[in-house]
Amino acid sequence: MRLMGLALACQALPLTSHGLQMAEAEALFAHQIWPLINDKCLACHGNEENKLKGDLDLRTRSAALEGGDSGPAFISGNPSGSLLYQAVTWEDEDLQMPPKENERLNQRQLQYLSDWIYAGAPWPSPKRIKELLRSTEDKWSVGGGVRMPTSGGLSEQWTLRKYNPDDLWAYQPIDKPKIPLGINAIDHLLGLKMDSMKVKPASRADRRTLIRRATFNLLGLPPTPAEVEMFVNDPADEDNAFRKVIERLLRNPHYGEHWGQHWLDVVRYADSSGFANDFERGNAWRYRDYVIRSFNADKPYNQFIREQIAGDELEPDNPEMLVSVGFLRMGPWELTGMEVPAIARQRFLDDVVNSVGQTFLGHTLRCAKCHDHKFDPVPTRDFYSMHAVFATTQIADRRAAFVDENLEGFEKEKGYLTARLTRAELHSAKLKKKSREATERWFREHDLPYKTRIEAHKAGIPDDQIPPKHYGYSVEDFGLERVTRKVINRSKWEFERYEPVALSVYNGADPKIDNYGMPLRMPSRPMSGLMEKTYILMGGDTFARDKQVNPGALSVLDEQIPELRRVRFPSTASKRRSALAKWISHPANSLTLRAIVNRVWQWHFNQPIAGNPNNFGGTGKKPTHPELLDWLAREFREQGWSIKNLHRQIMMSEAYRRSSTHPDPETLATRDANGIGYAVFKPRRMTSFELRDSMLAVSGELTRSIGGIPARPEMNWEQALQPRMVMGSFAPAWEANPLPAQRHRRSVYAMKLRGLRDPFMEVFNDPHPDLSCEARDASTVTPQVFSLFNSQISLDRAVAFADRLSREEAEPAAKIQRAVALAYGRPTTAEETAACLNHYQVMLDRHTAKVVPRPDYPREVEREAVEENTGEPFSFTEKLEMMQDFVPDKKYADVSPETRAMAEVCLVLFNSNEFVYIY
Amino acid sequence: MKFPCLGSGAWSSPTRRDFLYGLGASVGSVAFTSMMAGELAAKTTNPLVPRDGHFPARAKRCIFLMMEGGPSHIDTFDPKPKLKDLHLKKFTREGEMKSRMESGERYFVQSPFAFSRFGQSGADMAKNWEHLQNVADEICFYRGCQVDSVNHPTAQYQMNTGNRFGGDPAMGAWVTYGLGSVNQNLPGFMVLPETSFPQGGAANWGNGFLPAQYQGTTLRPKGSPILDLQPPKGITPEHQRLNLDLLGKLNAQHKQRHPQHGELAARMESYELAFRMQMEVPGVLDLGNESEAIKEAYGIGQKTTDAFGRKCLLARRLIEQDVRFVQLYHATWDSHDFIKRAHGNLVPQIDKPIAALIADLKERGLLDETLIVWCGEFGRSPDNGIRAGSVAYGRDHNPKAMTIWFAGGGVNAGHTIGATDETGAEASENVHHVRDVHVTLLKLLGLDDNKLTYFHGGRYKQLSQFGGEVIKELIG
Repeated sequence: MRLMGLALACQALPLTSHGLQMAEAEALFAHQIWPLINDKCLACHGNEENKLKGDLDLRTRSAALEGGDSGPAFISGNPSGSLLYQAVTWEDEDLQMPPKENERLNQRQLQYLSDWIYAGAPWPSPKRIKELLRSTEDKWSVGGGVRMPTSGGLSEQWTLRKYNPDDLWAYQPIDKPKIPLGINAIDHLLGLKMDSMKVKPASRADRRTLIRRATFNLLGLPPTPAEVEMFVNDPADEDNAFRKVIERLLRNPHYGEHWGQHWLDVVRYADSSGFANDFERGNAWRYRDYVIRSFNADKPYNQFIREQIAGDELEPDNPEMLVSVGFLRMGPWELTGMEVPAIARQRFLDDVVNSVGQTFLGHTLRCAKCHDHKFDPVPTRDFYSMHAVFATTQIADRRAAFVDENLEGFEKEKGYLTARLTRAELHSAKLKKKSREATERWFREHDLPYKTRIEAHKAGIPDDQIPPKHYGYSVEDFGLERVTRKVINRSKWEFERYEPVALSVYNGADPKIDNYGMPLRMPSRPMSGLMEKTYILMGGDTFARDKQVNPGALSVLDEQIPELRRVRFPSTASKRRSALAKWISHPANSLTLRAIVNRVWQWHFNQPIAGNPNNFGGTGKKPTHPELLDWLAREFREQGWSIKNLHRQIMMSEAYRRSSTHPDPETLATRDANGIGYAVFKPRRMTSFELRDSMLAVSGELTRSIGGIPARPEMNWEQALQPRMVMGSFAPAWEANPLPAQRHRRSVYAMKLRGLRDPFMEVFNDPHPDLSCEARDASTVTPQVFSLFNSQISLDRAVAFADRLSREEAEPAAKIQRAVALAYGRPTTAEETAACLNHYQVMLDRHTAKVVPRPDYPREVEREAVEENTGEPFSFTEKLEMMQDFVPDKKYADVSPETRAMAEVCLVLFNSNEFVYIY
Repeated sequence: MKFPCLGSGAWSSPTRRDFLYGLGASVGSVAFTSMMAGELAAKTTNPLVPRDGHFPARAKRCIFLMMEGGPSHIDTFDPKPKLKDLHLKKFTREGEMKSRMESGERYFVQSPFAFSRFGQSGADMAKNWEHLQNVADEICFYRGCQVDSVNHPTAQYQMNTGNRFGGDPAMGAWVTYGLGSVNQNLPGFMVLPETSFPQGGAANWGNGFLPAQYQGTTLRPKGSPILDLQPPKGITPEHQRLNLDLLGKLNAQHKQRHPQHGELAARMESYELAFRMQMEVPGVLDLGNESEAIKEAYGIGQKTTDAFGRKCLLARRLIEQDVRFVQLYHATWDSHDFIKRAHGNLVPQIDKPIAALIADLKERGLLDETLIVWCGEFGRSPDNGIRAGSVAYGRDHNPKAMTIWFAGGGVNAGHTIGATDETGAEASENVHHVRDVHVTLLKLLGLDDNKLTYFHGGRYKQLSQFGGEVIKELIG
């Protein structure tokens, strides 16, 4: 189906405000008024008979005429005298319906309602409505939008409802606009829009700006001064010189780290499970590295999709494919003994379905969990068909041999963990002994033979005739018993990190778990037991089962794109996910292709073509350049789903190479107020990760190894030691790796705990891993200053930077030139050299006169807690195993006064706008 | 002027540092004294500019007392004499809603606390609320609230953000988004957590999908109240000012080269704003100027009440500075066993401070314009399982019944609204989902939940999630 023609046809309203024939008014009711009443009124005025608001029931004409507390809903023939009409106009402040601002009726709907009341407010029977919907469809298709066939909604009204064609762009097959030969398609299509807006593009950015832009864009790191100079002085023409830069960057393994991070933002990567326990997901890092490897290898995107959804089914013997399906485990999830297992299971399935929709299809699906989608052609049935795809998918932490992975540091780290575990076990044994001795004493004093509690229970001795559990404990002991027990339990998750185990899934029967408090291996007979069946759950309630459904995907797309219908979804226990993967990665799947090229475009221009990369539905922003989106999608498919090729195409366009300064900003601001024309390149602030990584790169401290177990950089120590409640106890404190080189790895490798976030990352708008992040925010907030200007960690970078300068240059002026070249990628101006030199001199005097003392680092931490069963305070000492070997970064006191003074200049450079913005 | 040290809390020994030093000489600096809210609004597109709500507000600000862990309504404000008869009789629950927590034998447990009626209103309170009973008539107790989750973090998220699964903006973020902040030198939404953060962590006061400016700022009870509020030891204000001056120069030159880049000015301004905060926060936290009588009343310097007393007094000081939303945490009320000891220890920790807060606000004429809310994330069960092999008198989680109370601006003080069934297992009268409590809270602050929306993830989102209704009986 093509919507182009329809869009043109919808402009004229078929109705005037007067004199509808009765038949027309009945049709109007069927097509517009009744859906309106259903959508906007019945939730409070009909659906729940004993909870009618204002006692008004709008389910039938007679009930409406009988009215509620304020009188009849309408007076036939008199719209302005009708309460219903008055309420929806919102003119009376005390009578405004529907009460939500954003659900107010639009002008067209008001007109319909008025026309209908004026015409006598006919209210045909449900049967007649059905007839009318079909018999008068042709006429109404013109005025009321288009119907979108789907697998069908919970109600006939929903199934037959009409959509504004503008909202349906994403479901249409991909078009390929004609591009004149010999012209860059991207520039051609952007140019058409600019012409229509009457704006002219800015000139090209200079080479210095361009290489900084491209290097940050592809690597998330600044170019080195040598790289900048090589490009600036390259005698090759602009195209060839820049092409060489792009190719060099695409070969750099840091590329996969930076672009992998974009993906990890979307899938909500974290190293812990969130919620009450926030248990570590010891092996999540293997999925993170799989993503990085995939980007570096330019794995075809369709393959990347298949591996993450169904790798284990497609290549069961390939350990990497057990790692790749870790995607399905990325959401926050836990099952504690407090929760009803069936509800937790549903949370997992809801999460996976929604995540698949957002990630690959650019479509939120969760809305369809409780009701047919309010805005988009996604019936509840489809949501549960996708549930059914995963109904046999069970979570497990599966054995999977290491493949070409970075296994560095396992033994050393395991040693620290073992030390902590041993300490806890020793203490636990001591407590057991203490209680045992007290219990024995009790039996002696009562002249009874000693029995363990289990023995006593077996012998049927009542509880009041034996001492309670933990007899002989002090408040402290009660508290510590729990603390040590939890330390022992939590370490099981952490030891997983060094094992050939993958955060993974398998296909099988319901394993009947009621508590996920320890890593779970795949059962030896996964298929024994009951296969979960999937039902539509009314209102999203786990126990409100309606019709059974079979595996499937989005029916609206099947209807629009016949090729997709050929993908068969089996109802066997396995291969359901393979079918879904095939459906999503199908070359005809328009949502998938548009979703990925839109994301890649956004990660280049910091602005997507379709404004909500996770929501291509009717409520998402419409594409600013639909033809361009389709051209990119088709080109991407034809070029083998290669992301790197897409980079080349985008980066070689004039649009990408444009300056961020426009010769006529006033005109541009009037004619392109929303900044959608790409007449200038928009500057952006570094992300939190880029900022930290760039400081490390510029200071010369960055460790450039790829992959491996999570790094533990320093974070603000108050936050690191902040006691953090997990179920029944404290989580262990954040410890930093002992050696600077271990800490100074790229931020993508920093351990990411849902319950303990690095405040530096957090204030610089690091997205919370509980929500899929379609675009990182970059708002300026005051605490950023505290982190970047005041923190010891920033100061350490500045000292390291100055120390590097002192190794590379002798004279202060030369040091400043080198610093600016490293930080900004350009030569200094005379003005700034003078200002920096002057500052250096002033600070040198200060630093010569006085040495700022070294800070202390924690080796243990005192914990104070309230014992939850007694309400009494107790305290204990947590020994920080790694911190025993901690080697701090260089401080002021470790370097000369000259270096200290230069560090002040460096700190200012790190804080300056030129450093944090990319043009 | 240093206040005699009572414990090691940061709030007792602030070091006020004079960051005005040298300010006049700096490039791009802002004289903070003349920089009042209105001017700031005119100069920048500041998202915290104070603005009117949708209704006339009954309260301008809110103090939210969050009792982490789930206090037992049955042992505090909702007496259940019937449990005396049922004490240690078997209790059964079966069916699909059974979780592992409920396996094994369960028994009804009577409250170990004696109850009485207090105030002219005759409010039910356990007798160990020795101080709160004196302000009983200022309080509106609500017994009809229900939540969806039995787990702490999800229930906390729901109470704080409306969404069980986290990621949504906290109440304080919504309120600040709706009303802005009168004091431009302090955050509009401040949180006074326990030394250990609750389960679920900082997402309990996060901005969710709202812009980062609406995030709750924690004032930590120990160490630096705001992380990195001050530079490392040994770096003087003068030293910092010199660095700032160089920064101003470099930024000014940079701005000349990028005149069309609108964000540069705002980022430069944020450095000056940071200094105003560095300057203002220690003063607000300095409890030293408070009279001995006030400190005594809040229980400061007394072992049991010192910690929460400080929080309550600080809350009053923040309210006086026009901070919009202050949330106080007190932990942990998760008394699965030994409820007599556990709740018996917890009540006195907060009783005197809260009573003093109410009385003090009233005395200062601030109670009428300040809304106070007290609640946990859920209530507790009338029954308990055999834990640790013996009948330990405690209670498990109960999302179906709890007590929330309100005081101050606009509330129906001196009334008890709603009821639970005869064992306290489930709300039975005037029953509302917690979303309606949220809608009511917003209403009291002059906000309409249905209009206080933000477009995210394909729809207009709101605190109540999908809309709710005002619980009229709670409003006076």
